[in-house]
Amino acid sequence: MTRPMLRLAAPIAGADASLLATPIRLPLYGVAGALGAPENLDTHLARLGPRPVTSGAAGEDLITTLDRIGLTGRGGAHFPAATKWRAVRGLVDDARATGAPVLATVIANAAESEPASAKDAVLVGLRPHLVLDGMFGAAEAVGAQELIIWLHGGDRPGWRILEQALAERRAAGLVEPSVRLVFGPASYLSGENSAMVRGLSGGPVLPELRRVPVAFAGVQGRPTLIHNVETLARVALAARLGASGVRHSSLLTVVAAERRTVLEADRDDTVSDAVASANAVASAVADAVRAGGQPGPGDAPAQAVLFGGYGGTWLPWEQVAHLSLDVATLRAAGASLGAGVLVPLPAAACGLTETAAVLRYLAAASARQCGPCLFGLPAIAGVFTALAEGSAGRADLRHLKRFLGEVDGRGACSHPDSAVRLAASALRTFEADVRAHRRGRPCAGAVRPPILPVPAGG
Amino acid sequence: MRRSNPTAQGVRLQVDPLACDGIGICAHLAPDVVRVDSWGYPIVPSQPLTDREKRQAARAVAGCPRRALFLSEC
Repeated sequence: MTRPMLRLAAPIAGADASLLATPIRLPLYGVAGALGAPENLDTHLARLGPRPVTSGAAGEDLITTLDRIGLTGRGGAHFPAATKWRAVRGLVDDARATGAPVLATVIANAAESEPASAKDAVLVGLRPHLVLDGMFGAAEAVGAQELIIWLHGGDRPGWRILEQALAERRAAGLVEPSVRLVFGPASYLSGENSAMVRGLSGGPVLPELRRVPVAFAGVQGRPTLIHNVETLARVALAARLGASGVRHSSLLTVVAAERRTVLEADRDDTVSDAVASANAVASAVADAVRAGGQPGPGDAPAQAVLFGGYGGTWLPWEQVAHLSLDVATLRAAGASLGAGVLVPLPAAACGLTETAAVLRYLAAASARQCGPCLFGLPAIAGVFTALAEGSAGRADLRHLKRFLGEVDGRGACSHPDSAVRLAASALRTFEADVRAHRRGRPCAGAVRPPILPVPAGG
Repeated sequence: MRRSNPTAQGVRLQVDPLACDGIGICAHLAPDVVRVDSWGYPIVPSQPLTDREKRQAARAVAGCPRRALFLSEC
C-alpha cells in the first residue's frame, strides 16, 4: 500500500501557541466546580484552524518537527517522543511491506494520579479538542488504529468532557477512528505505563518488569505509543505551528497559600517567577489567611522547593530560585519538573514533617508486589515519622540510610526509587533540621498543619 | 555459554522482583554473588560475573523455587 504524498500545511500565522490562556486557581484537593466550560469545537477551530493531515510524508515531517523542538515525555526520564514514534511507525511500515497488517495502539494517559498535580485535569477540562487533535494526529502519523484514553478511576468529569468532545467531532462530520475511554483504578500507580499496558492486555493494573519497551511490544504485544495528555496537546500545536512557532513551556501545578495554581511557564522563566505568579493569583486567599492572624505566603521567602511531585526532589530555595525552568538547567541542579508539581515550602513549615506524611502515603500506595518496596517503604516512612516527631536517635538514622541504599532501584517499577529520592533529598536539604530533631528538639513547624495535600490511603 | 550478542560485555545475574518471595535459597547457593537486604530479598551485582561467580549464579537460577532469577548478557 502506498502512502499519499501529503506534506504538513504551512504554519498558521498568528495562531495561539499557548496551552492555557490564564493561570487557574484551584483548591488543594480536586478540581470540581473550579473550571469553566470546556472550549467547544467551533471556538477551538476558530482559534487554530483544522487539524492538519499527518499521514504519510506529513507524518514524517511531524516526527522531524518533534525532534527539532525536543518534545519529550513528562515522566521525568525526558525520553524523546520522536524516538518512540519512529519505533512504532517502523514496525507498522515493516508489517505493511510484507502484507500483514499490524495493529498498533496509541494511549492518551489522562490518569493524573499525583495528588498535588492538577495540570492534566485542567488541560482536559478546558481544552479537550487540543488533546484529541494530538491523539488523532499521533495515531495518523505512526499508523495506529487502536486509540485509548486512560483515565484515573473516578474521574467522571474528565470522562464526560472527553465523551462530549468526541460526540461534537462526530456531529461536525470529522472522520476519525473510534476512541475507547477506559477507567483505571483510583490508585497512585494507576497511570504507570507498565501497569496500564498490563491492565489493557487483560491483566491486573499493576506495574511489571518490562524487558522490551512498550513501543515495540505494549498492549497485547502490539507496538504502543503512550503519551501524557499535555504531550499530546503539544503535538497538536507542533503539527499546526511547526518547529519555529511552538512555545517552549511547561504546565505546572504550584502549591502555595493553601491553594493550587496551574500555570504555563516558559523555559526562560525562573523558579521564583513561577512561584511569584502563583502567589499573585493566590493573593486574595493570602489576605484572608493573614486576616486570620497567620503569616501569609509572601511574607517570608520559601526555605525549600519540592520539584516534580511526591516522588520528587527537595532543594534549598536559595539554590534554585534563580534557575530557569528548562530541562537541562534543572537536571544540572539535580531536579526535574516530572509531573510539573512545584511546592515552595514556607519558612515556618517543617520539611521533615511534610516529607514523613508523603512517605507514609507512598508506602501505602505500593503495589505490594516487590519485597524491597513492600517492606522497605513502610520501614523508611516509619523512621522518617519518628525523626519528624523528634523521637529518632543516631542509630535510627543509620538504619534509615541503610534502607535507602537497599531499596533504590530494586522494584519492577520506579515507585520505590521515587520514595528514596524524596527521602534522601529531604535529609540533604533539611540537614540542620535533621540534627535538631535527632537531638529531640523538633522545630516549631512540626506541629503546624501540613502544607502538602496528602490524601488518605494510596 | 554462547554469546548471541557480539557487543555484550559478559553475563549478569538478574532478579524479577515480582516473582521473588525472598525465600533466600539463592544466597546459600551463590554466597559470593547474592547478598540479602534487611528483609531477606536478594541483592545482585550489576556488573558482569566472573567464571567462578557464573557457576554459583547458575546454581541459584536453577534452585530458585519461584524461578525469579535469570542470567542475561550485559
